[in-house]
Amino acid sequence: MSLAKQESAYLEKKIGRKPTSTEFQIVAAEWSEHCSYKSSKKHLKMLPMSGPNVISEKGYDSGVLDVGDGYVVTVHIESHNHPSAVEPFGGAATGVGGVIRDILSTGTRPIAILDGLRFGDIEKDSHARWLFKNAVSGIADYGNCLGIPTIGGEVEFDKCYSDYALVDVAAIGFGKKDRLIKNHANKGDLVVLLGGPTGRDGIGGSQFASDSLESENRSAVQIPDPFIEKLIIEAILEARDEKCINAMKDLGGGGLSCAVSETADSLGIGIELDVNNIHTREFGMRPDEIMISESQERMLIITNNKKLKKLKTICKKFRIQCSVIGTVKADNLMHVKKGSKTLASLPTHLVANAPLLDRPHMVPKYLKQLPLNHPTPKNQNFTNIILKMISSPNIANKNWVYGQYDYEVGIRTVIKPGRNASVLRLDNGKYLAVKIDGNPKQCYIDPRQGAIGCFEEACRNVVCTGATPIGMVDHLQFGNPEDHEIFWTFLESLKGITDFAKDFAIPCVGGKVSFYNETPKGPIKPTPLIGVLGIIEKQPLRPALINSGDFLVIIGETKNEMGGSEYLEYIHGFIGGNCPKVDFKKSKKNMNIVLEIIKKNLAKSVHDCSKGGLAIAISELCMNNRIGCKISLDKVPSKKLKNDELLFSESHSRYLIVVERKNLNKIKKLLSEKNLDHDIIGNFGGTKILFEKNLVNIANLNVEKLRLNWMNSLEEIVVHG
Amino acid sequence: MPSFMVHVVIENKPGISDPEGDTILKDLVLKASFLSVKKIRTAKMLKFKIIEKNKSIAKKKIHNLCDELRIYNPMVSKITIEVFDD
Repeated sequence: MSLAKQESAYLEKKIGRKPTSTEFQIVAAEWSEHCSYKSSKKHLKMLPMSGPNVISEKGYDSGVLDVGDGYVVTVHIESHNHPSAVEPFGGAATGVGGVIRDILSTGTRPIAILDGLRFGDIEKDSHARWLFKNAVSGIADYGNCLGIPTIGGEVEFDKCYSDYALVDVAAIGFGKKDRLIKNHANKGDLVVLLGGPTGRDGIGGSQFASDSLESENRSAVQIPDPFIEKLIIEAILEARDEKCINAMKDLGGGGLSCAVSETADSLGIGIELDVNNIHTREFGMRPDEIMISESQERMLIITNNKKLKKLKTICKKFRIQCSVIGTVKADNLMHVKKGSKTLASLPTHLVANAPLLDRPHMVPKYLKQLPLNHPTPKNQNFTNIILKMISSPNIANKNWVYGQYDYEVGIRTVIKPGRNASVLRLDNGKYLAVKIDGNPKQCYIDPRQGAIGCFEEACRNVVCTGATPIGMVDHLQFGNPEDHEIFWTFLESLKGITDFAKDFAIPCVGGKVSFYNETPKGPIKPTPLIGVLGIIEKQPLRPALINSGDFLVIIGETKNEMGGSEYLEYIHGFIGGNCPKVDFKKSKKNMNIVLEIIKKNLAKSVHDCSKGGLAIAISELCMNNRIGCKISLDKVPSKKLKNDELLFSESHSRYLIVVERKNLNKIKKLLSEKNLDHDIIGNFGGTKILFEKNLVNIANLNVEKLRLNWMNSLEEIVVHG
Repeated sequence: MPSFMVHVVIENKPGISDPEGDTILKDLVLKASFLSVKKIRTAKMLKFKIIEKNKSIAKKKIHNLCDELRIYNPMVSKITIEVFDD
């Protein structure tokens, strides 16, 4: 635990004396980058955070969106990278637990989990395989035990995550608007700690998350207990219905220090608490340890004298412990006592608001050194290349991962993982589509365009189900912010996301910044992750089986944008080139037309075109439907592209639409009227995927063979190395 | 060469919580009024049969094997190894 020199000086100046040991620990936990956002807070203000559907309330840990008819959807995203890198099972599982409690703290029931996982090269690195295998088990174990479906996410492998893991978890909640907790507190109210006992686990976790991962010699490991979490969920929701909760916060990074100071600061109150009243797991814990312990499965609740009895009855019913640890004061102080002895007495505003930093930034040198022109070997065998790419860990089917998750429990999951976005049924007859996307390869060569690309990709996925985007969450993961070049990449990504969010009027309703993602080999690539929520008023587009005689229509232009593509990096080991750019105007037009086509019921299915380019997107359609397709690359809207560019460029704003013959003319008319880049590029049928250019066959793949590789290669790598 | 049985007990380090042990204690043992029981910790045991020159080499081999193959995670768990004549 430490504070920077100037932070210690600032603290002493503000309180006019030397802090006590407990005070020092509380402040060090709260002022860590992880809790205070001291490097990023100034800049995050640029994001648009309000909108017609956004409900904001003081002290909320998750974003709340009004979905009509008196219902709300809540969403939050967090990561658990450092803990997962040393203990993948427990780290990933407790990551799920933490974000679930954020959803719960607004008074909504968690209904779904999504996770974004990133590891090193699992084909060559056995440690990466170990991390991957165990992180997936951890998520599955926790989510399945809770009875909350894990409905989707993404998995990616890249050398920059060697000996490290990015475990991002997003959770969705659902509830009635009038049952939301309106955080408030009055003088004399009681502060209650509910849930598991406080132990020595996870001591200094938030501080740990704010250091680079240089050695494994840390004791910040948290042990998951999903069954207590399940009891907490049920107890809290019952307490909510009984109106026992005035205000609520989950205990996450920084433990009690952080929860108490932030709650008091946001509500403008003081809190006096006695560490003797906190139920602990071990004897002889020091007060400092109790204050910063990050034991999981705990909630802080403010209730009043009248409701306490009811709250205790509910806790007893669910067999979870709750202790009254303190009272609400009017003095704006965080007052920690042990019996009659005062251990800490600090202004809550000071504790909860670390001095913010204005970190210097500088364009990274590596960007200028990246080569612009990619290699174009002659006479490439595209059949073999597509086969190799389909079997690569980044593109292979992820059923080995989501097959371990219960993604249907709760019977809301209408469109299941493995397609574009997942879709949940809501109680008011509407549907919610959700997707998270990231792309470190593109963000590395162009942090701004890369981040915009992730955002557009998530939107595209949601649009493919017929949903209109209504909100987003972002998770910004970078290396050490003290490095000027890394900080520049952070700012660029943030600016890109802001531009897109403003232009498309998609408010940012939550997010997280995670810095110091470094391994002994260096910083990770910039990895912003975007989660988009979309709402479907009537029915989602459930992909129908493709039959022989159906047509394949493409919307959007394919450009020479090979930078950061799977093809260049996986096949040619080439890093550089032109990063795909989103043309906002065209992007919006394409989204709108796709939504219109779905609404008019003209499409059998819609698939987005992203990782691996056109070749992979078409192959996925064919493999999912076990049908062949003959594609004419001459028809693909583009300007003078080489074959590999047509097949593998990852240009944005492209959609593949499967159309029955009877609707073909209607779609053609619609697209021509709007003057959009589009064409009919293929016919489905047979058992082969044939790519042709100028009537010459350039790739010829057997769907069944391709499908076997696609379905099984990830499991092969994980299980057999 | 002689044959040995090597028992490897894997358990969470002291101070790291053990939900399984806690649950057995609270929901089974104490509920059944065995009130003198104060703590339960769960562990996993692997029994190896190994042919080596002597006990200490057998023990060392198994220890290395557990470390190398990540049979346990040293961040969370500790192992205790005992060797017996087979």
